[in-house]
Amino acid sequence: MLKRSYDIILLFKEYILLAFYIAVALLLLATNQTSQVRAMRAGLLSATGALQDVFGVVPNYFALREENSVLREQNLTLNDEVNRLREARLENIRLHRLLGLKDRPAFRYLSARVVGATSQNLRNTITIDRGLDDGVLLNMPVVTADGLAGRVSSVSGKYAIVHLLLHRDVRVSARVERSRVNGIVKWTGGRSLSFANVPTSFDVQEGDVVITSEFSSMFPAGIRIGVVSGTRTVPGDLFRAVDLSPVVDFDRLEEVFIALHTPDSGRVAIDQRP
Amino acid sequence: MRRNLILIALSLLVLLVQTLIIPQIAILSIVPDLLLIWIVYVALTRGQIPAMTTGFFLGILVDILSGGDSMLGLSALTKSVAGFLAGYSYNENKTAQFLSGPQFPLVLIFVSLVHNLLYFLIFLQGSDLSWRTTILQFGLPATLYTVALAVIPMFAFARHYRT
Repeated sequence: MLKRSYDIILLFKEYILLAFYIAVALLLLATNQTSQVRAMRAGLLSATGALQDVFGVVPNYFALREENSVLREQNLTLNDEVNRLREARLENIRLHRLLGLKDRPAFRYLSARVVGATSQNLRNTITIDRGLDDGVLLNMPVVTADGLAGRVSSVSGKYAIVHLLLHRDVRVSARVERSRVNGIVKWTGGRSLSFANVPTSFDVQEGDVVITSEFSSMFPAGIRIGVVSGTRTVPGDLFRAVDLSPVVDFDRLEEVFIALHTPDSGRVAIDQRP
Repeated sequence: MRRNLILIALSLLVLLVQTLIIPQIAILSIVPDLLLIWIVYVALTRGQIPAMTTGFFLGILVDILSGGDSMLGLSALTKSVAGFLAGYSYNENKTAQFLSGPQFPLVLIFVSLVHNLLYFLIFLQGSDLSWRTTILQFGLPATLYTVALAVIPMFAFARHYRT
């Protein structure tokens, strides 16, 4: 009996092994957010992040000159805008005080270099050279000078992986800057985003800028996400289909900034109450 | 034992190249899958079980390196299936012939297609992205790019086995 079982196992060993591997893979799919798996990720990220840091120097060197010229131009324009915004901010503070409104906290930003990128099988991520040692935590927002780029999804001592907006797991609570219409930004494949859950009667037009809203506990409010590139109404549907072009150029990410923002624990607690 | 250690070392090297260098040659976000090429090579030279095992462990490493998404285990599943399917082509008397002939890219096309179909079928669960559109926009081009890249080692094998 035992010999017969052994013979059967030998005969079908490839199938048995395949079934075992599939079972383990499915188990991992079901339990992949445990602390042991996170620790494994962090360990591997430290090793590969360091290697990506080394290999990342070569392609960047040749683009430095052009980048310098572009940055000098941007610097001039931004200086001018900063001066005008400073005046507007002072006026805003005076009006807030008059109305007795709570001040919104300013955020600290930590700059980071992109040392690696993955865009395999729709998993669009970048690796940056900042980690736990620099104060980076899971789910911290990542931005560029243009707008929202993504959020931190995995972090080790010196490196972190960022899920870009172009990822199936990233959804952002957002609103139209002009008409204050609320919705959810999500990825629709390629380089496109959609602004979902917008009723057909609400005011959204081509060219409108979409920003993060106060409803999100993960992203600070007011960060640019994209520009409405088209809207269409589907007959019989209560919601309008709104296409967004992201403001960030995801093909040219070299430097990003991590907003050292952690969700307000009081707010998270009240949101999670049944 | 020595052969297995060499296999492990080369597999890790292939993973490093896939992670560090292959993204530099992306075309419209499409990258070739060097890991699949390696798995098919292992299948044709060593058989089904080594190819499945290589695919499983490389898949887990790829999933871990993809950040904290909810799909840890997906690449392990698809790549072990890829290794299993590619292993059906193993013939210890015809290894050189298969590596240097049309069998290598043909097996790779079939394995890559099945891999991508299965991958996106699971990956897109709970997402609004259309499976059909994703296969046409990403799955098929990725397969073609992978096979195009495989032509380089194929010619190298052909030259090696004919001298």
